[in-house]
Amino acid sequence: MVFTKSKAPVITRRIFLGLKHDRRSLGMILFAPIIAMCVFGIAFSGEVEDVDVIVVNYDSGAYIPMLNINISFSEKILGNIDTDVLNIKYESDEEKAMEQVENGEINAVIIFPEDFSRTLVQTIAAASGEGNNSDIRSPADFATSFITIRSDNSNVNVANAIIKAFQDALSKTMDEYGVEAPVGLEVDPVYAEDAEFIDMFVPGIMAFAIFLLTTLLTLISFVGERTQGTLERLMATPIKESEIVLGYAMAFGILGTIQAMILMVIGIVVFDIIIVGNVLLAFLIAALLAVVSQAMGILLSSAAKREAQAVQFVPLIVLPAFLLAGIFWPVEAIPTWLRPASYFIPPTYAVSGLRSVMLRGWGLEHVWYEISILLLFALLFLTGAVAMLKRSRR
Amino acid sequence: MPIIQTKNLSKHFGTVKAVNNLNLTIQEGEIYGLLGPNGCGKTTTIKMLCGLLKPTSGSATVFEFDSMSRKFQQDIGYMPQETALYPDLTVHDNLTIFGKIFGLSNSELARNEKELLDFINLHEKRDVPITDLSGGMRHRVSLICSMIHKPKILFLDEPTVGVDPELRLNFWKNFNELGKTGTTIIITTHYMDEASHCTKIGLMRSGDLITEGTPADILAKTNTRSLEDAFLAFTAREVA
Repeated sequence: MVFTKSKAPVITRRIFLGLKHDRRSLGMILFAPIIAMCVFGIAFSGEVEDVDVIVVNYDSGAYIPMLNINISFSEKILGNIDTDVLNIKYESDEEKAMEQVENGEINAVIIFPEDFSRTLVQTIAAASGEGNNSDIRSPADFATSFITIRSDNSNVNVANAIIKAFQDALSKTMDEYGVEAPVGLEVDPVYAEDAEFIDMFVPGIMAFAIFLLTTLLTLISFVGERTQGTLERLMATPIKESEIVLGYAMAFGILGTIQAMILMVIGIVVFDIIIVGNVLLAFLIAALLAVVSQAMGILLSSAAKREAQAVQFVPLIVLPAFLLAGIFWPVEAIPTWLRPASYFIPPTYAVSGLRSVMLRGWGLEHVWYEISILLLFALLFLTGAVAMLKRSRR
Repeated sequence: MPIIQTKNLSKHFGTVKAVNNLNLTIQEGEIYGLLGPNGCGKTTTIKMLCGLLKPTSGSATVFEFDSMSRKFQQDIGYMPQETALYPDLTVHDNLTIFGKIFGLSNSELARNEKELLDFINLHEKRDVPITDLSGGMRHRVSLICSMIHKPKILFLDEPTVGVDPELRLNFWKNFNELGKTGTTIIITTHYMDEASHCTKIGLMRSGDLITEGTPADILAKTNTRSLEDAFLAFTAREVA
């Protein structure tokens, strides 16, 4: 009887009545879980794919007198590489190949030495106890064949994927021949020698935090300007729409830089990350991202009448950046069909720019591309925000 | 030359005719009261005159400039119906922000701020954030915020709502003084009793201007004793 007297159902009813009128919230409740499930599903099941590497193959093969053939193990191994993971190109000039890694055009150069197959054959023969010799010797006693991987470790996930692809191909090849032979993978990083996951993670987190917080803050602050009536009061003064937007841009540009500084200091002091590049350039990228984000916040504010509606944009801001910007998973791990979407969201460029500066030590001559695209986004969104404000006079 | 003039000024929101063929002439130094019930088009009219809304048809000129030209904003002050102040900022900060937007120097700002705080009798709240003020106090600050740059025309959208009677009387005394110094004031209200302080009144209903004149004129026309009765008389006439 106590339950029937409860007023709780009235409150429940109020909530449902509210939802009936607020279709957007209802949509959010029903669709956000679906979107979240898909996003995380895709993200976590994603494997790194389409990594560009160059193979410099000096291997001259090994002659096997018994069978009277010249066998090249390097080619067998390369034939067993998962071509979904690695896009292999060949180059005979090692220096030229290395230049491309240094420029960031490709992710790694893989070098097979001249005596690769020969050493391997000798080791196998020795290990299988050539001439039925009774004293068994372990393969470790023999010289080891080496594959050298000179990779760009600024993206640890990608670098690991390259190593794994070679390990897989190697064991597959050995299985085919039914032998077990020691082949060493010698990894000699070009960039970010001692990079660990955290080193790659910090630039990503910086971009993510700045993007998320700036967009949200501007969004809420601008919806506030509308609901309080301060925007209207401003619009009745001699101030120009562009001055309002630029004023916001400067404020959040400064705040974005401060955020970047704080995160960098924490990264260095607490997580012991390595920063090899120009810190000022990193701040510039962070500030640019903040400007892009605040302009986006202003644009989004036109679609929200109340602060509560603005909050509903949060998943729309967080999820794409989370999944697509290469913060946690490299862009290479995103399914190919979804990858173009990465190139339409600004944080992607900030993440890649910040990583290049902080881990590779690149200067403006290399990251101009990311910076120009961020500038382009800024210009586009700022113009859009100004146009939107002007339109409110209709 | 009138300081404000509208020609068949109209604003339609979809099928709703918020303002319909409005013809107003307001002279310098006048205190013009736009009167009428809620939703009669007073606020829409003021927004169009300030250049915040584009007329659907017709036109308005303010200081000889088209209302959408954005050439006269330096010389007008607008007090919206909402409080329209930054809630986390203090009274002083709000006044400073808007004063600086109008390009006031620090000394002008200090002088005007003191004068205006005297006017609303709120000196002791100068450094208090807007959130911590009562509704009436916020309204008073909102009023002086639109006057910080001593504009030639003041647009006041319901400035006396939530203000106690004593202060309301004080407001009107001040508005009249401003009028004598040449400031033009356009004020909306639905308190018919206080409209008698205006030098001229326009009665609005459902987007139409139903009559215009000095308070005395209007009383004479309808042979009534209060503006409230006068308004009802006009409404009755239209219905009949």
